[in-house]
Amino acid sequence: MSDAYLGIDIGSISTKGVVITEDGQIIARSYLWTEGNPTEASKRVVRELEQQLEDARSQDGADAVRIVGAGTTGSARRLVGAMLGASVVKNEITAHAVGTTHLHPDVRTILEIGGQDSKIICVADGIAVDYAMNTLCAAGTGSFLSSQAHRLGVEVEEFGDIALTSQKPANIAARCTVFAESDLVHKIQMGYERQDIIAGLCHAVASNYLNNVGKGKTIAAPVVFQGGVSKNAGVVDAFEKLLGIPVAVDADGHLMGAYGAALLAADAGPIRQAESGPFATGTFDFEAMLDFDFKTREVECQKCANHCEVICVYRNRDIIDSWGNRCDKGAIKTTA
Amino acid sequence: MDRVDAPESLRSQVTVTQERSLRALFSSGKKKPDKRHKHIRVAFFRYCYYDPAFKFFVEQVLNAEYLPLPPATRRTDEIGTQNSTDYVCTPFKHILGDFADALEAGANVIVQFGGPCRLGYYGELQESILHDMGYDDFRMLNFSRGLEGSAAVAWTKECLKQVNPDINVPKAALRLIPLANMTTKLDAAMDFYLANAGFEVEPGSFDRAWEAFMDDMRTATDDKAVNEVYARTMDRFRSLPLNKPADPIRIGIVGEMFTAIDARANLGLDHKLLAMGVELHRMMNLTNRFVRYNEGNLRLSASEYIRYDMGPTSTLTIVAAKRYAEEGFDGIVHAKSAGCTPEIDCEPVLQRIAQDHSIPILYLTYDAQTSDTGLDTRLEAFYDMLAMKKQKGSRL
Repeated sequence: MSDAYLGIDIGSISTKGVVITEDGQIIARSYLWTEGNPTEASKRVVRELEQQLEDARSQDGADAVRIVGAGTTGSARRLVGAMLGASVVKNEITAHAVGTTHLHPDVRTILEIGGQDSKIICVADGIAVDYAMNTLCAAGTGSFLSSQAHRLGVEVEEFGDIALTSQKPANIAARCTVFAESDLVHKIQMGYERQDIIAGLCHAVASNYLNNVGKGKTIAAPVVFQGGVSKNAGVVDAFEKLLGIPVAVDADGHLMGAYGAALLAADAGPIRQAESGPFATGTFDFEAMLDFDFKTREVECQKCANHCEVICVYRNRDIIDSWGNRCDKGAIKTTA
Repeated sequence: MDRVDAPESLRSQVTVTQERSLRALFSSGKKKPDKRHKHIRVAFFRYCYYDPAFKFFVEQVLNAEYLPLPPATRRTDEIGTQNSTDYVCTPFKHILGDFADALEAGANVIVQFGGPCRLGYYGELQESILHDMGYDDFRMLNFSRGLEGSAAVAWTKECLKQVNPDINVPKAALRLIPLANMTTKLDAAMDFYLANAGFEVEPGSFDRAWEAFMDDMRTATDDKAVNEVYARTMDRFRSLPLNKPADPIRIGIVGEMFTAIDARANLGLDHKLLAMGVELHRMMNLTNRFVRYNEGNLRLSASEYIRYDMGPTSTLTIVAAKRYAEEGFDGIVHAKSAGCTPEIDCEPVLQRIAQDHSIPILYLTYDAQTSDTGLDTRLEAFYDMLAMKKQKGSRL
């Protein structure tokens, strides 16, 4: 039986999970919609990963593995980290950089567009040296593309292929989602072809990204493009045209955050001293994690006039973590 | 107000006032009552750590009564945001909320600095908004009024008119010397705090020393006292145990006067960074921007990047960034309020500095927001990046 590590990336739109061996090989992968419920989505991801490991063992005769550590990343990293009893809870920028540079040691620029945010990471000698992330608004991210796909009556998954059939992409302003939308409606009513509008949208996403997030950054080859939007061939094509250099998309590109979190967990080593939770025995207990009932409750702290919103995470009836308080007066004791 | 009932943040100030009234009680009879003193309560908006200097200004220069404000609450910011004009910068909203708090707490006069950017127009606008909100009984000491001629004359007139017509002007003018001294001492102590608090052995020891320093400074009424408080504080600071590596991660904070310094405006940027164990530097403060400011000579040190004065804090932002880059800092954080045009103009220059010196710059834009999750993510990632880079660099 060999040791393995679990990495979960809980984003606003999708939840990703991987199980890796000690030397960084991905042996199970999962990708599901978060659907506004990060704890349930993580449970489903964990269930799917368990199934894959089980199948690999029974069908392909793979080694049985035991998961000895876990890392979480993404916007719900803290919540799910508390749930799993993870040893590493890391921001998604670091996790992406770690994951990608492990798979592509020569990468110089990482472009990433997710559901709510987009970022650029510049790499030199296998290490992140500069990064930028979108601020204040989510224009040109995955959720924007989804809502526009809905408007056009197309599945967002088909967007890329439709875009590639366009000969003359329409010119769409994507600087701001509100303007883009009115521009789009205008072009539809003018009678533009649907594929031209879709290609125009993809182009707008790429140029908006380069003008905002990528502003002032040197984009050196090799370039790797990740995040959910990297699955959209139309946007990849637009990036290649705008940059004039090839843009690589990894088959596991959407899993890079989870992969990075798992690698960081492997770096941290096995979890040995968990008193309770899924790692209480030193090996991840799938059943325990799926059986536990995780709930969050928001309390408004009344200890001073600031009224911080404190989030308490419950496992069954125990408080296992809390956050949101700005001072010690609002600290809540864990009961497990 | 009873000492125990007062909110914690005010307790020290209450203590000071009580001690002083006791002293006055015992020495009564010896000292003639000050006929020039005006029983009028003056409040400033909340700004960084300069409360002792504001207090000194009101009590020693204006010869009136200072009204200290408790820490801002969520309500303060809500009131400020609700009543502000669209697209106005964040400091406007914070200041407006502060003024509402101050008037409700019993202020007769509120003070607006004015400033070398849009801030110069804020006083008048805020005054009329406050009237519209129904606050009728107040006056505003607005230092951006009457600047067509000599500033010294205009400001003197404004103080006499809005606060206290009986100010002994020559005497009050001399009191500006200890005021400037106090400002530089506050900033000097802050510089030491920023550089070292990230490495304290005992958690909270620097914050406690800092609070004691603020309390002491609030009692200082002349140059001698200011110097004594400063010397005592620095002794205390230096005696705090530190666990500082020989080559710590060093980050320079640059940006506009409000957001780069004020903890409420930047959601506790200093504390968040210090908690990660870094050495911080920040050239932007009242000392460097006003007390010792020489724009022309300062700009000369970055003449390859700027030839003209671009705005209120642009020169200081760019010069500081360049200096941090040249001194081998690990990273720079640029903090600005959303819609701050002068600082937006600085960004292309900062990008050039970053490229020329291969130093990463994290750009942070703040609006009146309540959640700091996004900020935590960015700062954590920035720190991780600098730490990994440094580790790799030391291995090579």
